[in-house]
Amino acid sequence: MYHNSSQKKFWIFDKEAKLDQFRQEANQKFHSKALGLRKPGINESMFLEPREEKVLFRHYEKRLLDFCSVFKPVMPKSVVGTACMYFRRFYLNNSLMDYHPRTIMLTCAYLSCKVDEFNVSSTQFVGNLQESPAGQERALEQILEYELLLIQQLNFHLVVHNPYRPLEGFLIDLKTRYPLLENPEMMRKSADDFLNRASMTDVGLLFSPSQIALTAVLNSAARAGLNMETYLTECMGLKEDKETLSKMYDVMRRITTLIKEYELPKVEEVNMCKQKLERIHAEFTTNTNLKRKHGYEDDDHVVKKPLVTEEEWSDEDLDAL
Amino acid sequence: MDQYSILGRIGEGAHGIVFKAKHIETGETVALKKVALRKLEDGIPNQALREIKALQEIEDNQYVVKLKDVFPHGTGFVLVFEYMLSDLSEVIRNSQRPLTESQVKGYMMMLLKGVAFCHENSIMHRDLKPANLLISSTGHLKIADFGLARLFSNNGEKLYSHQVATRWYRAPELLYGARKYDEGVDLWAVGCIFGELLNNSPLFPGENDIEQLCCVLRVLGTPNLEVWPEIAELPDYNKITFKENPPIPLEEIVPDTSPQAVDLLKKFLVYPSKQRVSAIQALLHPYFFTDPLPAHHSELPIPQRGGKHSRQRLQPPYEFSVDRPLHESLVDPSLIQVHAWGCS
Repeated sequence: MYHNSSQKKFWIFDKEAKLDQFRQEANQKFHSKALGLRKPGINESMFLEPREEKVLFRHYEKRLLDFCSVFKPVMPKSVVGTACMYFRRFYLNNSLMDYHPRTIMLTCAYLSCKVDEFNVSSTQFVGNLQESPAGQERALEQILEYELLLIQQLNFHLVVHNPYRPLEGFLIDLKTRYPLLENPEMMRKSADDFLNRASMTDVGLLFSPSQIALTAVLNSAARAGLNMETYLTECMGLKEDKETLSKMYDVMRRITTLIKEYELPKVEEVNMCKQKLERIHAEFTTNTNLKRKHGYEDDDHVVKKPLVTEEEWSDEDLDAL
Repeated sequence: MDQYSILGRIGEGAHGIVFKAKHIETGETVALKKVALRKLEDGIPNQALREIKALQEIEDNQYVVKLKDVFPHGTGFVLVFEYMLSDLSEVIRNSQRPLTESQVKGYMMMLLKGVAFCHENSIMHRDLKPANLLISSTGHLKIADFGLARLFSNNGEKLYSHQVATRWYRAPELLYGARKYDEGVDLWAVGCIFGELLNNSPLFPGENDIEQLCCVLRVLGTPNLEVWPEIAELPDYNKITFKENPPIPLEEIVPDTSPQAVDLLKKFLVYPSKQRVSAIQALLHPYFFTDPLPAHHSELPIPQRGGKHSRQRLQPPYEFSVDRPLHESLVDPSLIQVHAWGCS
């Protein structure tokens, strides 16, 4: 149930400004950490600014969605939604400069498959990368290396409530209790699109899944030129409760605005930021075994052989998708 | 990890060693379940993820073991549970005489409350058995080991694995290879546990999967389309045929048992999953409201973990009697006066 979920308790925030603040802090933390190393030739201008991180975040998020959409066997929507939400939660408190989004996005998808009981083996999973067998093995090694970090950064909160099931619920409700609408099914397509677009915004960190789904329904109705106000006033019994009704409208307006504002970053901009990111990762993370970096040593465990450096498995490999 | 001091080993769980430990700050005793990730080709095991998932999303319930914390450690992570003294399999094994009817009722009531809670929260446990029902030092029963638990959705699309549940407690649809099933598998297991409590021995102790089915069929009778229409759709239905035999009345399977107990048991042990009584309904059965009433948790035996004999509850040194003069049980103040002086 959403009501006693870790999502409601820990991952819903009241203001967008708060989300920006977290990201700003993560960005700043990397700045001071990197400058603290006092490596020669390092200066502020090398680093990504919060704005640039946002550009790259959107770019890799889109890549994540593309990867999921061509995944074989077909990935259920909830798995995709959960992967996306993991990615978003992860970079709320981490900078893209700390951990490369290329690996994190795949780790998110991998973990989401497991958590949502979409059972694919690890070999099957990396088999979806357009890669040589050796490249796939390297990718897998990295995914497994980052899995623990990811689950830890998610605070072990694994269950994500997506708006897809509430949407089904609303469609059923409309069919049974709202005869004014002749064919609620015709709204499905555009409501689904709305939810897909919603997954690329912060709405999942600000609003409950049912609020998002209801907005999708009403939006889809509006597009078809239908007014569904009576659904709220009559079927939901909000006629007398003007306060709740106006709050609800406000929520729906905010959700719609966030989704309308979304723009996919421009290619040139992405490329510029990418160059910066690659340089930072080359400078700070090569030859750093993740486990060592995080004090992961454990005396009873044999330390795995050092990680392959990230360059060996590049962005270009993913572009082949 | 430095927040805990290890007190000893409790046992080996499905995905790692379980330690008894003390939370240094609060002094509380806990069970630490270590999940190591070394050499796992698929990374973090599904069982560990399921356990976290199931226990994190539900509110505290008295009859479900509490996941207090999860933290990373070494190449894996550690699940922190409240410490439990024993489990129901030890209670059954170690009690010298059969449990009294009132004690059985007490356990059944706690078990059903826990199961009802899980089902209300859309969680099927899928591996209910006495060893997974832990007993606290206060005699409370709590459901544990959610390594096979799944969140269920009622859209009936997803296929599940039928290789769940320890054999003796496995529902007949699972034995026939069902991939679509529901919380009824837990209710079957509850029935098996109930029978085991009544008889002090397992109801269907099959040595292998085929024999398991034989055990069930011998008691419930060979199923046919009339009593169990859904059986035709089960994957292994046509693969195995058994000799026709009529059901044995449950009264003969659990002799010396009250009619109400048999009546309730019958409601769990039926072939069609949908016909099994729900946990919430079962709690309203007359069995729980007729004399002898369910035992209070303080009246239930608490064996030591791994101990041979059930430990006697600490008894007051003498029987309490209302007729006994009050002054006899008080300490004479003059006797302690010397010591009291020393303190000031």
